[in-house]
Amino acid sequence: MPHREVDLGRVRPYADHLGDGLVQMSFTLPVPHSLAARRAALELAAQMGFEEPEVVHYEQVTPGYTYFVMYGRCAVTVDFASLQEEGFDIEYLNEDEIERFAAERVGRPIVVVGASTGSDTHSVGIDAMLNLKGYHGHHGLEGYRAFQTHNLGSQVPNAVLLAKAIEVDADVILVSQTVTQQNLHVQNLTELVEMVEAEGRRRQTILACGGPRVTNELAKELGYDAGFSKGTYPHHLASFIVRELAARAAVPR
Amino acid sequence: MLLSELTGDARRLALVGLAKNTGKTVTLTALLAELRARGTVVGVTSVGRDGEQHDVIDFRIDKPRVDLPAGSLVATTDALLGASGIEHEVLERTGLGTPLGEVLLARLLAGGEIEIAGPSAAADARAVADAMLDHGAGQVLIDGAIDRRAASSPRIADALLMCTGAILSEDIEEVVARTADAVALARLPALSASSPVARRAAELASAGHASAVLDEEGRELERLPARYALTAAASDVAALLARHASARTLLIAGAMPESFVAGVAAAARRSGREIAVAIADPTHAFLQERGPEHYRAQGAAIVALAPIDLRALTVNPVAPQSHSFDSARLRELLATAIGGVPIFDVRHAGYRGSQPPGERPTMPTAR
Repeated sequence: MPHREVDLGRVRPYADHLGDGLVQMSFTLPVPHSLAARRAALELAAQMGFEEPEVVHYEQVTPGYTYFVMYGRCAVTVDFASLQEEGFDIEYLNEDEIERFAAERVGRPIVVVGASTGSDTHSVGIDAMLNLKGYHGHHGLEGYRAFQTHNLGSQVPNAVLLAKAIEVDADVILVSQTVTQQNLHVQNLTELVEMVEAEGRRRQTILACGGPRVTNELAKELGYDAGFSKGTYPHHLASFIVRELAARAAVPR
Repeated sequence: MLLSELTGDARRLALVGLAKNTGKTVTLTALLAELRARGTVVGVTSVGRDGEQHDVIDFRIDKPRVDLPAGSLVATTDALLGASGIEHEVLERTGLGTPLGEVLLARLLAGGEIEIAGPSAAADARAVADAMLDHGAGQVLIDGAIDRRAASSPRIADALLMCTGAILSEDIEEVVARTADAVALARLPALSASSPVARRAAELASAGHASAVLDEEGRELERLPARYALTAAASDVAALLARHASARTLLIAGAMPESFVAGVAAAARRSGREIAVAIADPTHAFLQERGPEHYRAQGAAIVALAPIDLRALTVNPVAPQSHSFDSARLRELLATAIGGVPIFDVRHAGYRGSQPPGERPTMPTAR
């Protein structure tokens, strides 16, 4: 439980006592292990805005590279209270609750087609979400009675993914993609949305995307119904899907 | 000529960018300022998100805010309406969920800055646009997101404003070439509604089967399965055309990926034939490599059953955090390559519309 005296409008990190702003950080600099390297790390932390930066550990990772562990005092605060008011959090159901909810509110197998699209060779995200094995002891949607899954793997063209979705009359298309700062994969994500639109299936299909940089805000711009990033477990995705299907059934079209 | 004058009669106007940071929101704010000066009650929705403070991918890029006068109508989420702090009257709850909350229709009772995030699906964007018109909006602006085009379909919007910019490439010629391809795609030749092919297409669409091989007179030579264009290999297309010597048109329902038209073009070129690929409207063609002119020259002409009414092109000569071009030169090169479409830089001193507030961030670059 947070301490009573926490001012949620002005939150900062803490280590020893509330409000001390202490941050532990680690990074590597491409410089040889030396006193000059230590000074460089201190100066860098100061430029990052940390007060009283302190190097507590540094060592050579390989010749020419030095790894640092540092402390610093963070001087700025964040307004948690107003972020909380925006209400972006959803409550997740556990596996039993998802099965029950799906049986009562959907009443048929929910068909999910997933892939890493385009040139993206990473399939770990999609495998973790869909395959029975799952990860961290949470099995993927394949292990639920409520879901019928089709994992097409990696480097799947949008047209192939969409054709499969039509073939099996998918309720959900799940795409995994690494979005880079250079926008490399963004076009591929929007193209899928636009192809689903062109097939006249946008309203009946839940589109979800996942990847290391995917946020709800990005998902909205891309045209997806939800975005999932690091820290997402299969039951998070499953909670969203069953709730969204039930909500859509309630909206007259 | 002002953007608002060129687009004033389009009750639902779509704004589509060719990529992120092509100046869609700047164009939107310029248009809003003009409409405010004309006293038009405006309705605004976005298939993505507008008026946010920072770019969603590159946090260093500041975005223009969307400032609306009292009386404006918006389709945006409950959370964003609340966050704006603007007094408003909720007209309808749509029940449509987005990753940022449920979309509401509201009338602003005071002016101010607000983030707009309407329904993502194009058909839902059309529904909220119509609802805002019913609630008294004189014109509804449907803003796109990133490079999404679905809202520019004639089923959704009455006219289109397209936005392009330096972000497409560091090479100005490449920016011009890619923009010309996108314009050519938006302006695909339309089949006249009375043509035999168009009449046959309408019949097939109403029967729920709209993919087929047609001859010169629109007679059906072979019915194609629903996912044909998504899955057919070039060899399948070649065999199909070889089976039907009198085939003139491939009528394709749904999405037409580039691999398909490339297959048609290869088969047409080898056999010295000319084949038309007819799609519902330009938003159904997915070309990433080449423009429609390339395929037409090879014997595969893409045609649309319903055209898009492209009214103007706006340019952003600045690629944020990267490079910029001289605005006049970029517009001149575009005008030479394209023709028939008015081209504006709404932030340039030469544009005589109301200037949106704020300076364009300038970059030290060789011009």
